[in-house]
Amino acid sequence: MRVIVIGIGEVGRHIASRLSAERHQVKVVDADATRVEAAQGELDAMVVAGNGASPKFLRELGAGDADLLCAVTQSDEANVIAALAAHQLGTKMTVARVRDPEYFGDDEAFARDQLGIDFVVNPERATADDLAESILVPGAVHVEHFAEGRLAIAEVILTDRSPLVGRSIGERRPVRPSFVFGLIRDGRAIAAEPGHRAKAGDHVLVSAAREDAEAVVAQLAGHAQRVRDVMIFGGGRVGLPLARRLEAEGGFRVTIMERDADRARQAAEQLPGTVVLHEEGVGKDALLTHGVDRVGAFVACAGDDRTNLLAALHARQLGAGISLAVVSREEFTPLVDALGIDAAFSPRLVTAEAILRAVRGPKVHAMYLLTGGAEVVEVQADPGCRADGRTVEDANMRAHTHVTAIVRGDRVVMPTPKERIKAEDRLVVFNVRQGVAELPKTFDAAA
Amino acid sequence: MSPARRRRLGPNLNWQIILPVISGTLLAAGVGMAICFGVALAGGEGGTAAFGIPAAAAIPLGAAGLAGAGRLRSMPLRPRDGFFAVTAAWVIAAAVGAVPFLVEGTYDRVGDAFFESMSGFTTTGATLLAEVEREPDAILLWRSVAQWIGGVGIVVLVVAIAPATGLATQRVFHAETSGVTAERLTPRIADTAKIIAGIYTALSLAAFGAFWVAGMTPWDAVNHGLTTIATGGFSTRTASLAAFDSLAIELVAIVFMIAGAINFAFYWLALRRRDHLWPQAAEVRAFLLIILGASTVVSGILILDADGPSAAEAVRQATFTVASIASSTAYITADFDQWPEAARLGLFALMFVGGCAGSTAGGLKVIRVVLLGKAAAQEVQRQLRPKAVQVLRVRGRTFSEEVRRGIFAFFTLYLFVFATGTFVMGALGLDVITAASSSAAMLNVVGLGLGDIGATENFAVVPEAGRWFAILLMLMGRLEIFTVLVLLTPAFWRPDVA
Repeated sequence: MRVIVIGIGEVGRHIASRLSAERHQVKVVDADATRVEAAQGELDAMVVAGNGASPKFLRELGAGDADLLCAVTQSDEANVIAALAAHQLGTKMTVARVRDPEYFGDDEAFARDQLGIDFVVNPERATADDLAESILVPGAVHVEHFAEGRLAIAEVILTDRSPLVGRSIGERRPVRPSFVFGLIRDGRAIAAEPGHRAKAGDHVLVSAAREDAEAVVAQLAGHAQRVRDVMIFGGGRVGLPLARRLEAEGGFRVTIMERDADRARQAAEQLPGTVVLHEEGVGKDALLTHGVDRVGAFVACAGDDRTNLLAALHARQLGAGISLAVVSREEFTPLVDALGIDAAFSPRLVTAEAILRAVRGPKVHAMYLLTGGAEVVEVQADPGCRADGRTVEDANMRAHTHVTAIVRGDRVVMPTPKERIKAEDRLVVFNVRQGVAELPKTFDAAA
Repeated sequence: MSPARRRRLGPNLNWQIILPVISGTLLAAGVGMAICFGVALAGGEGGTAAFGIPAAAAIPLGAAGLAGAGRLRSMPLRPRDGFFAVTAAWVIAAAVGAVPFLVEGTYDRVGDAFFESMSGFTTTGATLLAEVEREPDAILLWRSVAQWIGGVGIVVLVVAIAPATGLATQRVFHAETSGVTAERLTPRIADTAKIIAGIYTALSLAAFGAFWVAGMTPWDAVNHGLTTIATGGFSTRTASLAAFDSLAIELVAIVFMIAGAINFAFYWLALRRRDHLWPQAAEVRAFLLIILGASTVVSGILILDADGPSAAEAVRQATFTVASIASSTAYITADFDQWPEAARLGLFALMFVGGCAGSTAGGLKVIRVVLLGKAAAQEVQRQLRPKAVQVLRVRGRTFSEEVRRGIFAFFTLYLFVFATGTFVMGALGLDVITAASSSAAMLNVVGLGLGDIGATENFAVVPEAGRWFAILLMLMGRLEIFTVLVLLTPAFWRPDVA
């Protein structure tokens, strides 16, 4: 695939390296010469300096035969212009990062159908949705939905209260049909074997039908209380949509702490049901004054990773129920576990998810990226593909993957090793390392 | 290098804005008087000279001023020009309007004629006449026409009728309608003025028709149609609406007094079904709730009163009086000065609430009262959570911090002016209740108070100096204080202050 990435920021760099690792031909563009120079050494890609929104420059770059263009500069407007220009020049698929919901907030169909931008990605908004899911399902730090919402994949932290701690995965007696397929231990994702012994602090990955997810998660976590009080630290691009979502869900008492007076005012204007505090301090005293010890969930989503980690750490120590942090830069993710913060959410990964989904083509319906390159992907088994009619065990071996759930029509089937895969099944698979290259060979008809 | 600047005295006003406004005012007043001249001719009761002479002077003068305004040197726009133009327009209208009273001999003293005229244009409705029926028809019609012109706002009328003076009009418009919610119904302010004037005219015609159908003579229906929508309160009878003693007429009056006290922009927005209708709709809802609540309470007080009227009569009197006072009209069907203290005090409080912003009614205005209440409650909350960010919000529409400050300042000034008025009236020899209620009746442009200026009395009890002071209070009340107060600051008159 020929890919053009415009903008070398956190997201652009991540996508470019990920795509080039998957052996695509990647060209990266940025207007800033020093950033271009730095990236040239790091990326296995052609890195060029130039204005990515210029149609002339895009034509020279070969946008005419490109398969994908990702516009992820800091500027929404530049991204939209670049995507529009590339679409007109003949690029097959365009993705634009647009953070301001004023543009296509509720109307992505307009962007897609009228303007020809295939995907509009709003990383902060998507991050807010992920945060909301983990607050809505008590006990889970992350919930992702697959197969049009029929299946839920949840990431659950084991504590001393969890019945599974000290036992092996094989000894688990689930309340509802569900499948523990992976573990995240010390920041690394591994496939769960029946013999694995669960420890407190492990993150467990479990699949279940959507309606069963809450009960399954509650059992795994041991003691999961519904969250009522949520404190959001930072009323910016993530905090605002998160608070709005929680307001819309109802039943939450939401407090936002914001350091900037103007942003606090904006948040207060947009959120009639939320208490917005203008608080400049980020220390323990400030957090305690506003009752962080009594909240069910604390979300740190101010602009800066370090501040988020610090605030989440304080909240954890002061007694907040669960403590979540938005961490954009990859180098900080190991700190999350070390500091005892329950989960980190990355706008960078969210964007990459959306873009990689586009790259994998229409057969990949949804995906969920984990730390360290692991991922959960939904694929469809074509009639006549290699996996058709074979057992799950067999398919797993061929594709170097782990089938975590089968969605057959409207039904969710928990996979046993001897279960046979049928054509048109939708499979949700877990890849520890990039087993991606083998996926099409196993599930596509043509291969 | 720099050209020698001519030292100017005075505020260095922009006559390019001011001249068309006062010329238009002259023209409007002249046309009004010309109509009364026609009535005087037809009626043969006299008054032809009283209206013919000033009309013959005002109309050409106004027309000439409008024509000449285009030739003036263009100057930069400044807020002061708007304030000056509006205040000047109202003073000139009242001054010209006083002439017929003097020529006809209704009043001997200039101050009395000026009082009656200002009371008309500001839609206050206070009168010095002990017996209205003695006056010729033309004089009575003039009182009604003055209220009608003043009701919609002199500047609104001028902007709606006179050729557009462009940018300049906006400043002037704002100085007259210093509403809380900036209302711009159309891209061009002249079109907005036309819409408001059109709605106003349509409602006036509807009121006229309804009064006629309800049993008034056409003549009474015309006069009351003009003064009801204007929420003015001048009547052709000394006893006001009590003289008709008709439930149908009272119901019509209640409907149109309330209609006149509702924001005119609301009607337009309601017809157009715009999404951003809601702040206005919320104000209207609050206003109607206030009237409903106050009527219920006052009815209850009257029913419980041993000396009071029968239950049905109590409801009828209470509802009419509440609508009349809340809309700052002050038509009378009952002598509420005989009511129990609680009812009288309730009516006194209603005067201060007034009607909706952007209507013909006076008072603080419902939206301001609502916002004041919310802002005050938020101050209490702030004691508990000093760091919480408070947003003034009505029905999803948020108001800026400037509005919050402006509202507290307005309220403070309002009370200050009211207290000053009470003090002056008291110092001139009125008893406390009369002094306080006359100050409130003028400032809230209600025109009726308690005690010696109560329902069956008139303002003749107020000494001459008090009448002049009342003129200032009425003007301040109609122009919502700031516009007039700005003119009273020394900075306004210094040319170097931009």
